[in-house]
Amino acid sequence: MRKGNSILRKPAVQTLLSSLLCILLGLLVGFIALLIINPSGAVEAILDIIKNFWNYSKRATQLKNLGNTLVKTAPLLMCSLSVLFAYKVGLFNIGAAGQYVAGAGACIFCAVGLGWHWLPCMIASILAGALVGAISGLLKATRNVNEVISCIMLNWISLYLVNTLLSKVKNPTSPYTYNVAKQMVIENGASTTVAHPEALLPQLGINTLFNNNKYVGLAIPLAILLAVGIWVLLNKTRLGYELRATGLNKHAAKYCGMQDKANIVLTMAIAGGLAGIGASMLYLTGFEEWSVTQSSVPGMGFNGIAAAFLGGLHPIGTIFSSFFIQHITDGGAQLNKQVYPSEISGLISSLIIYFCAFVLFFKLTLNRRLDRKAERLQAIAQKEGGKA
Amino acid sequence: MILLIQYTLVFTSVLMLVALGGCFSEHSGVINIGLEGIMVFGALGGALVMSSLPAGSSAFIIVLLSILAAMVMGIIYSLLLAVASINFKADQTLVGTAMNLLGTAGATVIVKAINTAANPNNPSATVQYISARKAFLLVNGYEFNWFMPLALCLLILAYVILYKTRFGLRLMSCGEHPQAAASVGINVYKMRYAGVLISGLLGGLGGLVYITAGVSEWKFENGVAGFGFLALAVMIFGGWKPFRIALAALLFGFFRALSNVYTGFDLLSRLNLPSTIYNMLPYIISLIVLIFFSKNSAAPKAEGIPYDQGSR
Amino acid sequence: MEKEQIRPQDSEYAVEMLHITKRFPGIIANDDITLQLRKGEIHALLGENGAGKSTLMSVLFGLYQPEEGIIKINGKEVKISDPNDANDLGIGMVHQHFKLVECFTVLDNIILGVEPVGKAGILHKAEARKRVLKLSEKYGLQVNPDAKISDITVGMQQRTEILKMLYRDNDILIFDEPTAVLTPQEIEELMQIMRNLAAEGKSILFISHKLAEIMAVADRCSVLRKGKYIGTVNTKDVTMEDLSAMMVGRNVNFHVEKKPQKLGDVILKVENMTVASHMHKNNAVKNVSFEVRAGEIVCIAGIDGNGQTEFVYGLTGLEPLAGGKITLLGKDITKMPIRRRSVMGMSHIPEDRHKHGLVLDYSLEYNIVLQRYFEPQFNKNEFLRRKNIRAYADQLIEQYDIRSGQGAITSARSMSGGNQQKAIVAREIDRNPSLLVAVQPTRGLDVGAIEYIHKQIVAQRDAGKAVLLVSLEMDEVLDVSDRILVMYEGEIVGELDPKTTTPEEMGLYMAGAKRKEM
Repeated sequence: MRKGNSILRKPAVQTLLSSLLCILLGLLVGFIALLIINPSGAVEAILDIIKNFWNYSKRATQLKNLGNTLVKTAPLLMCSLSVLFAYKVGLFNIGAAGQYVAGAGACIFCAVGLGWHWLPCMIASILAGALVGAISGLLKATRNVNEVISCIMLNWISLYLVNTLLSKVKNPTSPYTYNVAKQMVIENGASTTVAHPEALLPQLGINTLFNNNKYVGLAIPLAILLAVGIWVLLNKTRLGYELRATGLNKHAAKYCGMQDKANIVLTMAIAGGLAGIGASMLYLTGFEEWSVTQSSVPGMGFNGIAAAFLGGLHPIGTIFSSFFIQHITDGGAQLNKQVYPSEISGLISSLIIYFCAFVLFFKLTLNRRLDRKAERLQAIAQKEGGKA
Repeated sequence: MILLIQYTLVFTSVLMLVALGGCFSEHSGVINIGLEGIMVFGALGGALVMSSLPAGSSAFIIVLLSILAAMVMGIIYSLLLAVASINFKADQTLVGTAMNLLGTAGATVIVKAINTAANPNNPSATVQYISARKAFLLVNGYEFNWFMPLALCLLILAYVILYKTRFGLRLMSCGEHPQAAASVGINVYKMRYAGVLISGLLGGLGGLVYITAGVSEWKFENGVAGFGFLALAVMIFGGWKPFRIALAALLFGFFRALSNVYTGFDLLSRLNLPSTIYNMLPYIISLIVLIFFSKNSAAPKAEGIPYDQGSR
Repeated sequence: MEKEQIRPQDSEYAVEMLHITKRFPGIIANDDITLQLRKGEIHALLGENGAGKSTLMSVLFGLYQPEEGIIKINGKEVKISDPNDANDLGIGMVHQHFKLVECFTVLDNIILGVEPVGKAGILHKAEARKRVLKLSEKYGLQVNPDAKISDITVGMQQRTEILKMLYRDNDILIFDEPTAVLTPQEIEELMQIMRNLAAEGKSILFISHKLAEIMAVADRCSVLRKGKYIGTVNTKDVTMEDLSAMMVGRNVNFHVEKKPQKLGDVILKVENMTVASHMHKNNAVKNVSFEVRAGEIVCIAGIDGNGQTEFVYGLTGLEPLAGGKITLLGKDITKMPIRRRSVMGMSHIPEDRHKHGLVLDYSLEYNIVLQRYFEPQFNKNEFLRRKNIRAYADQLIEQYDIRSGQGAITSARSMSGGNQQKAIVAREIDRNPSLLVAVQPTRGLDVGAIEYIHKQIVAQRDAGKAVLLVSLEMDEVLDVSDRILVMYEGEIVGELDPKTTTPEEMGLYMAGAKRKEM
């Protein structure tokens, strides 16, 4: 039977459509929440969230704030790539959060505690994240431990380990570590710091585009490059062919002699490395410091899940979805805190993940509709043909 | 020592209730990663009732209403999972993850909205229930509360329901072999709804128990600090069986309690380990347990697989 | 015939399905089908895979609603909207794949859905247990009500299914391919049970594609072909050949043309091979030894679940051996990983094409290079050479006549079973293997595809390759092979010559009733 050539049949169109639908629904429910909290300012508030940096009138401030959003988009993109990459191989990497934490711990400690240059710090982040990921992979491959559960456990273990590690480079007057732009030195038993700009990621002149936002730099092009790289790896290479085959049908992968267990470990290590490098992309800009008393796992890894699914599980798609998620998250901060809680944007992004879970059903229904429509058209055509 | 026992029992009750909840959901065939979010919403329901009841309310009313509120909130929240995974055949892990994020974000938004509405200069996500909490205590001055006997009753009830009643037999058949259940006229969708909603009820109650454990206010930004996940590990360690879950909860509860009170023990405080070690211990133990118990998993066979009436 | 005393509303028929039509997107699964089951008779429903038998039964059970046609039970028109309705009307079914909960006991499975309960829904198992024991005695259905399903034999599982129907007082009993998993002796027992049931007034519908069994047990037979109703006959009045012709629509030439045998060197040598089993307790492979030479087709025959699957897993490397030695082309491959066995010249047409044979969501071309994607022809500096992959796929599609909607880029999932299997066969044969391991290569295929695949396998033999065929189909075993090894409970219990043996003799070996010292 010939199927109609409706543009709606194209998988890419369907993916885009369903992502937009998820966003709309998420915003809609968020808007309803705003309405309930305070109806008079709700329209303005939801627009504030959507506009984010455009809320500022001056172009220079807009650029600076866009820069800030981009600084946080880079690590988010890495986390979403981490989730996506594992998902393509049939693994649900809910552990991106913990791998990100491990990466953060590694690069901050290497920069502040050991005074390393940014590049080895970044590599340390990759390795730390990869190690945490590989543990999940190894447990899955050898002991059949469900990766979701082991990742959840490792998220918390990583958090407490990193808190312990980083309390060695803590600023004694606050719960935070020193900024990576400084190196900690011990003099006479007391810790002080010396300037250590080598640990900061190079700005490559990109900062000038964003009104000299000093945090903007290498991370952003690198993140985009890695997204493209992941796409190439998955779709053009022998390894990608193997990994995707493993994800789609691990039995067939084993049957044709692929190293299914090694591939699981490798996948989780790569996924962990991606989340780990993501952490270094944020912390090595000096944008923020780590609080060693935090008792919940940073949301970056979980938001990565949102971005991965919202991006239609396509590496290029995640570039846009990551930006969008970060954009509305920062948008939440634009709200008047005396009326609306800024967590409303967290609410919206978690709603978006929730709606993403319906995407498969949506596509199925859409295809069935199109089938039925095509059949009807065919029947009509046949009838008319019969008359003629 | 008494302190350790108190906390162990409190945490055991929490973990056991929530893990039993997970057990019902999984026996019906739905993986419930979202227990954490369910706990948060249950806790929210209970906390709001406790904080809003007038100061002079009788202890019985406080206990009854806050428990009811926690259960109802848990059930309502678990509907999110039921609708998505049963009717729309969504990926249960993804839905559960979304629910956990939504739980903390949603509860924070709600509490902050209430707080700012009462006082625009108080944009905090904290609910206080100092006086109401006392209603739960069995013996004045000790952290033994009504939840402990209640949890014990629910444990026995859960066992009876699962293994001695028609409902339990049917529920488990849906988690093991839904096509077989359907072929003898059991409505798989209904049973799965029942399983998920019961997990909402127990998870919500567990959330309430957790936030009343030794504290009189709760910051909802913190969610329930991974207890829902710990309960999942308890459920797996307990092999999806109520009494073994209770024992697993006791073990995990003990280690969790140790992290709160280890400074009170000479031996432990002399070891001078960072406190984070005790925080980590339950997770490390679960991981080790998983390593040894995952090979021959007793998990319901059909869990996580959406049921479709059309497929045979 | 004496005239029976019947009340006017009593009908001669227990079930009447009149002019049933059921469509699915793209196909008409049932096209104007009529089936009438008399009271107290055993009525066979015959048809090939995909003839529409399962759909028709799903309609009877209310799993599907037909677009046209009516159903009458005992002469009364009824509407069946779910299995509960069917059950209320006294219809029960033993499904081909048993609908039993493995971790429940026999008793729990029997009462599931119709549990006797007291206050607050508490189960009353004692009275149920008594009733089950009584029923099992009355019809000669031996079961242990307290055993877990996962611990009992397939035969006992089937008896549990029958008891499920009897416990529900069903009068209309449907058996869906009930003999596929049984030994010949168990089949004989089952037929006796069916006759007993019919004698007690139960009406039985017996779905099968095994002609001999139908002739042996059924009173009448209705035939379906490609969704259409062909006719109903009295089995006394027809021969097996007649039924076969009705089923396939033409006289099939079951015989496969083979050239005279030219035996070559030993290609595969298996010595004392032992494989542990994960699935069942009794079917691990025990101490199996044999050889396969170039230019012969050796067939491993046996009833499903006697260790064949584990044997193939051990041979191809999917499972490690617990003991023994495998030699391929003179090289010890016992511990060799799958990829190296494959590169050395072992091709494997797997038993389950969806589980092992294909990545269903990959395109046809990607599936075609599944065993070769790493070769320099398709892989340069770790990048896939997509042009070469396409060209190679197109070549195989042409050569092996693999049909699909969009050629090389068609998703394997959207292809028909026969063409999926052809793609696997093409992939495995085109690698020019020294040894071809083909496991149930024709399972679930239509006659045309079966003939085609048999020809390909024989061509390999004629070209001087070694072929190891694992099959459950007696006809296939007898027609295609040069040598037959019968496997029973994980052991080779006999070697037979297809030219001299008979199905009956093979059956005795397959059922463990006879064995040769090997």
